Amino acid sequence: MSALLTVRGLTAGYGGATALDDVSLSLAAGETVALLGANGAGKSTLLKALLGLVPAWGELRFDGADLGGLATETRVRRGIGYVPEGRRVFPGMSVRDNLEVAGLPAARERAQDVERIFALFPDLALKSGESAWRLSGGQQQMLSLGRALMGRPRLLLLDEPSLGLSPRLADELFVAVRRIAGTGTAVLLAEQSAARALTVAPRAVLLRVGRVVGDGPVASLSEETLREVFFGV
Amino acid sequence: MAALQLLVNGVALGAAYALVALGFVLVLNATSAVNFAQGDLVMAGGLLAVALAPLIPLPGIVLLPVVLVLMAALGLLLALAAYLPLRRRPPVSVFISTIAVGIILQNGAAILFGPEPRAAPPLFGDDTLHIAGLAVPEQSLAIVAVAGLLIGAQQWVFARTQLGRRLRATAQDPEMARACGVPVTAMILVTFAIGAACAGAAGLLLANRYFVTPTSGGDLILKAYIAVTVGGWGSVPGAVVGALLIALFEVGVSSVLSYPVALGALYLTLLAILVLRPQGLFGEAVRRRG
Repeated sequence: MSALLTVRGLTAGYGGATALDDVSLSLAAGETVALLGANGAGKSTLLKALLGLVPAWGELRFDGADLGGLATETRVRRGIGYVPEGRRVFPGMSVRDNLEVAGLPAARERAQDVERIFALFPDLALKSGESAWRLSGGQQQMLSLGRALMGRPRLLLLDEPSLGLSPRLADELFVAVRRIAGTGTAVLLAEQSAARALTVAPRAVLLRVGRVVGDGPVASLSEETLREVFFGV
Repeated sequence: MAALQLLVNGVALGAAYALVALGFVLVLNATSAVNFAQGDLVMAGGLLAVALAPLIPLPGIVLLPVVLVLMAALGLLLALAAYLPLRRRPPVSVFISTIAVGIILQNGAAILFGPEPRAAPPLFGDDTLHIAGLAVPEQSLAIVAVAGLLIGAQQWVFARTQLGRRLRATAQDPEMARACGVPVTAMILVTFAIGAACAGAAGLLLANRYFVTPTSGGDLILKAYIAVTVGGWGSVPGAVVGALLIALFEVGVSSVLSYPVALGALYLTLLAILVLRPQGLFGEAVRRRG
């Protein structure tokens, strides 16, 4: 399979502090990969660096083209969708407007995509005209995921989607993630809950203190490796 | 009857103030920056109408689209020169740069037009209509109609169009807007253009009945600031309502006492609001937005 995303020697940080150090990984089209690591391992920074939301150095290629130097909005238009940690819906806008703002320029296609999202998340359809701040945490997470899908991404970056959700809502959300992955969209899923992430991803990349310390099929990950990544023992 | 007459005058003045406050609050929401040049942009719009009047000897309503376009271009220049280069600096940098732009506009206007008051042409005509015992200047009706139309059009764009959604998303969370594919820098430029166009329209509307001088913007920026504070910092409907209330207050107190007393009372009221209800009239909605 040809690589949809190629990252080589990526370094990123905030101020003087380095959060990612010489990170390399690749993702094939339609592949789902879990990005595992303890809090502070650099998972969120890696996703933000892919999107250009934090300064980063190194080689970044998406679908064969160099992403280096491109603005975030350009990377999104090239086919990268992003679901941030903490949902970050636009609180003063309606559910429909939250979806439409991330949609394609053509109104007709946009309207079709909104209906597609409402079919995936029927709860959102019922709240279409309501302001996003009125939604529950689970509904806001669905809205954030739906919003990322409005740009018809070929790669979806998910940052801790189950954070703050009840186990039942988190399970529902992962059902939706599986369905999205089933449509051929590649997914890079940063998640602290390894058990949950590995239910949707056949491959995992392990991060520890900003460095890749493991990359391979889930079956090859031993309990000791995971323990070392999460607890350092 | 006298109260009704004051109401008519106050609403006309308030409609023009609402445009000033609207432009101010749009830029504030999109950039978190206070544009202290907003009052001087109103002055520039008024003097632009004065300058265009001999070239286009037609009623002010014909000048309005020209003033809107030219002022929008001035707003773009303001954003490019005084906001974008400084947006990653502390907020005080933009405060100072917009104050500097205001001073440049004032001095430029003084050089080009001199200090004496000037009047822009009326929107339609100079006549006064007599309706049920009330003397209603045509210009007052035209101000209310034109300001209402412009504010309504703007609200429609913001509520119903993709451009409006993008502008609102930029105002609420610029980083997330970027991550949704919104060209945030372009949206900020559009916001400055709309803000300056609003100021220009207000300048044209006010400069017929209330005249315009190079220094008249200083008073207007304070009123926009008060309107936004009264209405609720960041609230667009609040800014419009705040502007109407200010104008009614100003006209009412001026008629009983005097304009300087009205102005003093207005600032005292501002202080009282800041102490008693700092979130303004629509502050609750603003708090929830965050």
